[in-house]
Amino acid sequence: MLPRPGPASLRLTLAVAAGIIVISLAAMVAQYRLTERSLTARQIELLQSDMDAFAALYEQRRIPALRQAMEFRAGTDPFEAIFLLQDKAGEKLAGNIETWPEGLPALASDDFSITGLRQFNVILGETLTSYQGVTRMLPGGFPLLVARGTGEVDRTLADLRQMIWVVAAFMVLAALAAGWVVARLVLRRIERLNGLADRVAAGDLAARLPGPRSHDEFGALEGHVHQMLDRIETLNRATHRLSDSIAHELRTPLNRMMQKLQNLKGQDAEIAAIQSEMRGTIRIFDSLLDISSAEAQSGSAAGVVPVDLSQCAAEVFELYEPLGEDKGLNMSIHIDPGLWVLGDRNLIAQLLSNLLDNAIKFTPEGESVTLSLTEGPDRHLLSVTDTGPGLPAEIRDEAFERFVRAERDRTTKGHGLGLALVQAIATRHGARLRLLPVEKGFAVETAWPKLAPPAAAAPGPESPA
Amino acid sequence: MTDTRILIVEDDSETAAAISRTVAELDAEPIVMRSFDAGLEAAGLADFAVIVLDRTLPGGDGIDTIPRIRAKGSNALILVVSALGRAANKIEGLDRGADDYLAKPFEPDELKARLRALLRRRTMEVLDNDLITFGDVQIRMKARTVHIGTNHVAVSPKEFELITYFAQNAGQTVTRMQLLENVWNLHFDPQTNVVDVHVGRLRRKLEAAAGRPIIQTARGEGYVFAPTAPAPTGVES
Repeated sequence: MLPRPGPASLRLTLAVAAGIIVISLAAMVAQYRLTERSLTARQIELLQSDMDAFAALYEQRRIPALRQAMEFRAGTDPFEAIFLLQDKAGEKLAGNIETWPEGLPALASDDFSITGLRQFNVILGETLTSYQGVTRMLPGGFPLLVARGTGEVDRTLADLRQMIWVVAAFMVLAALAAGWVVARLVLRRIERLNGLADRVAAGDLAARLPGPRSHDEFGALEGHVHQMLDRIETLNRATHRLSDSIAHELRTPLNRMMQKLQNLKGQDAEIAAIQSEMRGTIRIFDSLLDISSAEAQSGSAAGVVPVDLSQCAAEVFELYEPLGEDKGLNMSIHIDPGLWVLGDRNLIAQLLSNLLDNAIKFTPEGESVTLSLTEGPDRHLLSVTDTGPGLPAEIRDEAFERFVRAERDRTTKGHGLGLALVQAIATRHGARLRLLPVEKGFAVETAWPKLAPPAAAAPGPESPA
Repeated sequence: MTDTRILIVEDDSETAAAISRTVAELDAEPIVMRSFDAGLEAAGLADFAVIVLDRTLPGGDGIDTIPRIRAKGSNALILVVSALGRAANKIEGLDRGADDYLAKPFEPDELKARLRALLRRRTMEVLDNDLITFGDVQIRMKARTVHIGTNHVAVSPKEFELITYFAQNAGQTVTRMQLLENVWNLHFDPQTNVVDVHVGRLRRKLEAAAGRPIIQTARGEGYVFAPTAPAPTGVES
């Protein structure tokens, strides 16, 4: 089974939500800026109109007119706007506040525009209020203060900001929920297909998605996958038929040849050579058929039974040990007892046999060959290691392909199917196969899915049939 | 021994002829049938020692015929000879009632060795006695030891199984494939003749203890366990 990309749904959810949130927040921030600017501009306009009015009066009758106008407006709420006109001695002539705000300089000018606009705070009663306004020292030493309170604007903007935060928080939640729903809808459809693909990869070629197809892209995708699976199933069946046909159609004539050879007399060496060649030929196509058959049956439960891997490994090692010893190799074995797998004993023995045969064939005298079977954290680890010449780099990546042989091994007996069969048998049992990194030599590890030892499993050597 | 009859169910005439020849060499009477139905009928009519059954005849799989042969009341041993010759096919055949399974193409010597083993199995007394003796060679089944004269021959457990199988087929050619199938319970053809190494070791031990060859190499295909007799003709030491 392929590793399921777990966080994909979360990532998709977050991405959709984040997109919605970012766009909305940007819109709200823009709205806020617009509001802020418009409110500020409005304040300045009001200030400007105050100043314009005072300017007109000052033009006509100077200070008395100003004083009159201010007295007229003395009832204005000082939180909204303040006016103050003082005389040379700093006494109040008119206005709605009593004293000049501390530390606020008066600009010597009779310009009634709003140049020199400044921000300042005034303590009114017990409240600190912000203002925006202009100060003038009118000719003759009359200080003038005209300002508009910004408290109202600030409060409005503060309300607006608070609303934005609330809306943003709500949107985060809403967007997360929406993203989750969308992601779930999409991913559930994909999950269905992934589940199907896993079942197929695990060997169940007949697996199909139940229920009707929907009339959308997902439905079309499911339809296509089903068509592909139908095709694969047909091809697979055809391959099986072909294998049996090849076996029958080639073996029958070969058999006739073999029988006729027996009738030849007097050329024993030649006859033996031909027989040996014929055996070699049969071995090649047997291996090819075994590989196809193991590949075709990958993951299928047909023909598998609990097998004592420890015992099987020990038996095959025992079969090969004398061969290695006679060749002058150090043959060693390390096996954890009682490790069981679900499989086909004969195929597992063949896998071990091919690995050991290879190791013994390619490892020179004095080197060692080791078979090891240990219980890993989640799998049984079976490895065959030798300290021989190892694999040439040029075929390391394709060592398990059919008919791949290193150039230097051309003279050694073999047909380059041994490791391909090992690969196929491992795959058929759901065992992972990898080359172990070793400094010297060749090491293959197969990691087998564990099986709990059957309760009735009795230790002891299996008696021959 | 012409009262021993062997039924051959095989549609390929040359193969049938070759099997018939081998059967005749074993002093048995070959009877050839070319279809499952004819074979079934024959199996019900006469008593056969062995039925040599092809698996792939028109009209089905020979393996499916085995229970029908049994239903006819025949207790003949069944040797399946088939072009479906991979390990998986063999195991399937043996699991489903065949007594032995030989892949095509086969060498006549291999067929002969297997037919002989089957014929012996029919007549052999069961080896449940503790002691099997061939002249001065003694095999003690319970103790799992081998003695030659007064010498104890130290054999490994596998070597003991090997010599037991040899003893059951004493005097007859036993092929490497038979040893691999019966002693090691392996049904594939290893690329290297690993069996030779084991037989060689056992042979050297026995020869050292007995002072004469006990296991001989038969020309071509296998070995002969001949603990008492001088080497049969056609056998090289």
